[in-house]
Amino acid sequence: MTDWFRAGLRAVLTAPFTARTWRGLGYLVSGVALGAPTFLLGVLGFVSAPLIIVTAGLPVLAAALALARQTSAYFRAPARFFLGWDWARPAPLPARGWRRLPAILADGTAWRALVYCFAGWLLRFLGAYAAVPMLVLGVLAVTFPVWWSFVPAGTFDTPHWSGTWRFVWQGALLLLALPWLVRLMVGADRLLIRGLLEPSRDSARIAELESSRAVLRDDAAATLRRVERDLHDGTQARLVALGVTLSRIERRATDPDVKSLAGDARGTVTEALAELRDIVRGLHPPALDDGLGVALSTLAARSAVPVEVSVLIDVRPGDATALYFTVAELLTNVARHAGASRARVEVRADAGWIRLTVTDDGRGGARLDGLGTGLAGLERRARALDGSLLVRSPPGGPTVVTMKLPREG
Amino acid sequence: MRTVIAEDNPLLRDGITLLLGEHGIEVLAAVDNAGDLLAAVERHRPDVVVVDVRMPPTHTDEGIRAALTIRSAYPETAVLVFSQWVETSYARRLLADHASKVGYLLKDRIVSTDDFVGALHRVAEGGTALDPEVVRQLLAAPAVDAGLARLSVREKEILGLLAEGRSNLAIAAGLHLAERSVEKHVTAIFTKLDLPQARTDHRRVLAVLRFLNAERL
Repeated sequence: MTDWFRAGLRAVLTAPFTARTWRGLGYLVSGVALGAPTFLLGVLGFVSAPLIIVTAGLPVLAAALALARQTSAYFRAPARFFLGWDWARPAPLPARGWRRLPAILADGTAWRALVYCFAGWLLRFLGAYAAVPMLVLGVLAVTFPVWWSFVPAGTFDTPHWSGTWRFVWQGALLLLALPWLVRLMVGADRLLIRGLLEPSRDSARIAELESSRAVLRDDAAATLRRVERDLHDGTQARLVALGVTLSRIERRATDPDVKSLAGDARGTVTEALAELRDIVRGLHPPALDDGLGVALSTLAARSAVPVEVSVLIDVRPGDATALYFTVAELLTNVARHAGASRARVEVRADAGWIRLTVTDDGRGGARLDGLGTGLAGLERRARALDGSLLVRSPPGGPTVVTMKLPREG
Repeated sequence: MRTVIAEDNPLLRDGITLLLGEHGIEVLAAVDNAGDLLAAVERHRPDVVVVDVRMPPTHTDEGIRAALTIRSAYPETAVLVFSQWVETSYARRLLADHASKVGYLLKDRIVSTDDFVGALHRVAEGGTALDPEVVRQLLAAPAVDAGLARLSVREKEILGLLAEGRSNLAIAAGLHLAERSVEKHVTAIFTKLDLPQARTDHRRVLAVLRFLNAERL
């Protein structure tokens, strides 16, 4: 006998006594009980799917899909307990409000979870249905010689005790086969979970990168905001206080030289304050603290071309900063190149996106690769935020620049 | 003149207190938040309140809200608001309900002490004081008002100075014009804006309001 044959034989003989077998069996049996409600959910989903022609089917299907989407964690708990499996939660649905309805119907994650609710339970049921009788019969048969004498004569076709050994062999075969059946079923379930519940490795990685970048972006916005606060509440206040002191010196001084020196110093302080104001405006526009609408209106007020602003949604601080600087640059372009008499700035929701449009009635002909407009830079910035920038500007106008950014929940 | 100061930066609060003292303006109380400010106004009934826009607890627009409360609850008290930066919407909110006895200046202006004290006197006497920077931004804004659109460049310039709260005499000095010709320009502004002949002061405020409202939200 070769070594691998001996090792294989040992594996076969000891398999019924390994923890792995019993954990697998426990997983299958508990899965049948725990999976019953989700199985019904699966049935409900698939029954209601053809019924969406009748309007009543639609909300039922949407509800079933929404629930199925949440089952990932429900299935994960026993899998983790019995088998130590783990997988990531699905990324939350990007849409909000009533847009969740079309989004959930088109959501692959929800549909796959619904399929698993249905198929996973069938698989575990099949496994448990085969494994449990195998175990019970196997144990009874192996122990038959022990309890043979307690059975009333004639119940089994075994008139002599020596005849019971035949059953022992058969029971032992059943018990030896049981672990492999359990492994087969558990393995099949693993494949189902991998295919239907686990986010794929790439999508998990993408979700991770997306969330870490959102955190970075918000961090950057928060840092700029803090720096702005520090400059305004610290540096600016100190400079003003310095200016006030210089002004008092100027007032009290009797020596004309001292008076004029203090006056010069006060002038320098005034210039420094004006410079500070410009710097802060470039860092984090303080008007953003009062919301994007106020900030964009302030920008519009500064523009040489009449600008109408409407902001129809709330956006996160990081996005607000990006939108603000984009609008600032686009309005500068309008004033400098377009020869427009009016412009419009609009920020609205568009499915899972924030859509910014800046329109002007100028001469058109703006191009992404045009020199000196900075449109290419804006486009790069939009792409860095997973968004896009589109310029539609036929000769003779009008020019419409559209920026889309993902709207995160 | 009697004042109450609300400014959360202690350095600046003490500076302003000393500065005003040297200009013969009595500082009745110097506080660091809007709640204490309202209490101080209730107790002292000052002629003017000097208030910072950004104060604890939220550091956003506490000062503006306190100023609006004071203007409606204590009509005899004038309010001069200080902001770290130019925010035209603040100026509009201030002037929307109360066209007189209000001022809105950048903090930087405190350094130009004479302008600052002058603005304080103006609002206390029932006028307005707007920061030149605010006025500049409002002027750059489109005039959708047909009346405003009719104004000449010189008239717009003079309207801007009116908005800052300047008297005809001060405008004349600033633009190197005779007071008489400033009066003519002001009358032309009133005519072009279709402001009825009533008390002159009132028409000045109305003209400034037209000018401010031209900038839409």
